[in-house]
Amino acid sequence: MIVELLSVPAIILILGAFLLPLIPERIRSSAFILFPLIALGVLWTLPEGSLVQLPFASYELHLLTVDALSRIFGTIFVMIAIIGGIYAFHIKDLGQQTSALAYAGGALGVTFAGDFFSLFFFWEIMAAASTWLIWARQTEASDKAGMRYVLVHIFGGGLFMTGILLHLNGGGSFLIESLEQTYTVANVFMLLGVGLNSAIPPLHAWLADAYPKATITGAVFMSAFTTKSAVYVLIRLFPGWDILIYWGVAMALYGVVYAVLVNDIREILAYHIVSQVGYMVAGVGIGTEMAINGTTAHAFSHILYKSLLFMGAGAVIYATGKSKLTELGGFAKKMPVVVGLYMIGAFSISGFPFFNGFISKSMVVSAAGAAHLPTIMLLLILASVGTFLHTGLKLPYFTWFGEKKSDFSVSDVPLNMKIAMGMGAFFCTLFGVYPALLYNYLPYAVDYTPYTIYHFVEMMQILVFTFVGFWLLRKKLEGSPHIAIDTDWFYRRPADAVQYAFVELPNRFYGFVEQRSLKIAGGLSRFSKNPLQLLPFGSSNPDGKKEIKSDDFSASIGAALAFILFGFIVASLVVLL
Amino acid sequence: MKKWHWIALGIVFLISLILEFTFLADYDSHWWNHIPAFYAIWGFVGCVAIIYISKWLGKFFILSDEDYYDR
Repeated sequence: MIVELLSVPAIILILGAFLLPLIPERIRSSAFILFPLIALGVLWTLPEGSLVQLPFASYELHLLTVDALSRIFGTIFVMIAIIGGIYAFHIKDLGQQTSALAYAGGALGVTFAGDFFSLFFFWEIMAAASTWLIWARQTEASDKAGMRYVLVHIFGGGLFMTGILLHLNGGGSFLIESLEQTYTVANVFMLLGVGLNSAIPPLHAWLADAYPKATITGAVFMSAFTTKSAVYVLIRLFPGWDILIYWGVAMALYGVVYAVLVNDIREILAYHIVSQVGYMVAGVGIGTEMAINGTTAHAFSHILYKSLLFMGAGAVIYATGKSKLTELGGFAKKMPVVVGLYMIGAFSISGFPFFNGFISKSMVVSAAGAAHLPTIMLLLILASVGTFLHTGLKLPYFTWFGEKKSDFSVSDVPLNMKIAMGMGAFFCTLFGVYPALLYNYLPYAVDYTPYTIYHFVEMMQILVFTFVGFWLLRKKLEGSPHIAIDTDWFYRRPADAVQYAFVELPNRFYGFVEQRSLKIAGGLSRFSKNPLQLLPFGSSNPDGKKEIKSDDFSASIGAALAFILFGFIVASLVVLL
Repeated sequence: MKKWHWIALGIVFLISLILEFTFLADYDSHWWNHIPAFYAIWGFVGCVAIIYISKWLGKFFILSDEDYYDR
């Protein structure tokens, strides 16, 4: 049994998270990378099917259900755990290391879970472990953001669990399988719970709120796991649900609009996660074999280039201590390697030919075309204009080029961070040049060629003219020292009112009642000290007040008590004998 | 942006146009394929629209002072 459990990739990583504290500090970073490497080896030797079952109450948990879809998602999660581990190699913070490893384990657990309970168990491990990656930044902003993050995810987990329980109660399958498109209460709850983790607006604000405040290395892991594991669950549960098409397109554009406005570099990237996940959600909604392949491929590509972009932004923050466009600028020459590697990520996300975004994004867009949804297709292309505009042009231009906007010094970035970025850039290019390396492992057989003249023409024209538009209007895109109000307003702004209504008001009420009862108790105790005061006779002192002398009544009360006690003794003797 | 940057962009665009008119002349899977250089137009118009609409939305209600939540 134990040996069987050790073949579960998620358990390897979570076990690793428990072992890390026992490993000496100087080899801990290496050990961190070792566990995902083992998991990678294991997951490629596993046959398909449900391999490990565990009895749990009257259920049987399926901890390891392997097929092409779970294998490809598992592979990219493990890859990013390794790359992220190298990026964080210089970090000596045990808390961050263990939580990152447990977080990766949670994502893998979700991927290979065959039943709802195992899925939910790992789902919650992800939420808990990732919160620490925000708190570990140890600033006031990150403390608060982490608290909001964990509360929102507890809420999302609650929605998901409610859906699962209603689903089971209604006779639904305990094993994970695609749900019929009917809007039963159970299905809606599950969709909302998974939708929250997929950052589908209006349930997305936690992402743009928390990711920019996480630690430099933590954000790299976060950009990969939470939303993409949710996309995986969407593929499993809701393929072909029409509503996801429209939701996906809406979020692809939503992220673009916010990315124009925000000032923090990691917040721009966070909003572009929302935008990019929009393609995947739309792909799940389209639901054809080509669309599911496209979604899977795009999730794979996205994790690689988005983590690369977050690594680049993290390097900027590491080197300068600044993260806002309004404070950066003019230091590209001081970190040419980082700029170059970041640009590979930017080219990938923008869909430049020969980078991995081109081979996956175009697949989702083409799937929309093949499913006769031309408007959806055009809007997705529009979103990709926005992607290039922000991630490929605005962010690098105002961060590294342009004029310097504040005083800062640029320190050296550790070599391991550059190596990790180099690995990310290598894979972004590798899969772009050899798409078959990815296509061969997609869940369905691929009948799609990205490198056609049509796609070349399309991308060349779009990219060139997006650039022209950017250059003409670049002044408008300059950051401004503002924050963008998003749907987190609904739980942040009324916080004071909520605190007043649910904490202060009850507090005051209880305070009032407490004082009153103390007063009454005080009065009663004074009164009961000397009942003789109430009697109309008795001696009064010259002031007219009755003198309180305890010996006035002690003898009579003493006698009364003695009689009562005597009565008890007699009664008990009678009963006992 | 130096002059040769613009020339390079122009050449790329020209190549895309040549490819479009020679190899894709009879390609018409979508309604917009009949419009010459459609993707260039879509890219430019889209880019301008994204900037202006977002800025307008920002001014209208999205953007706020940095201490908005701390007040």
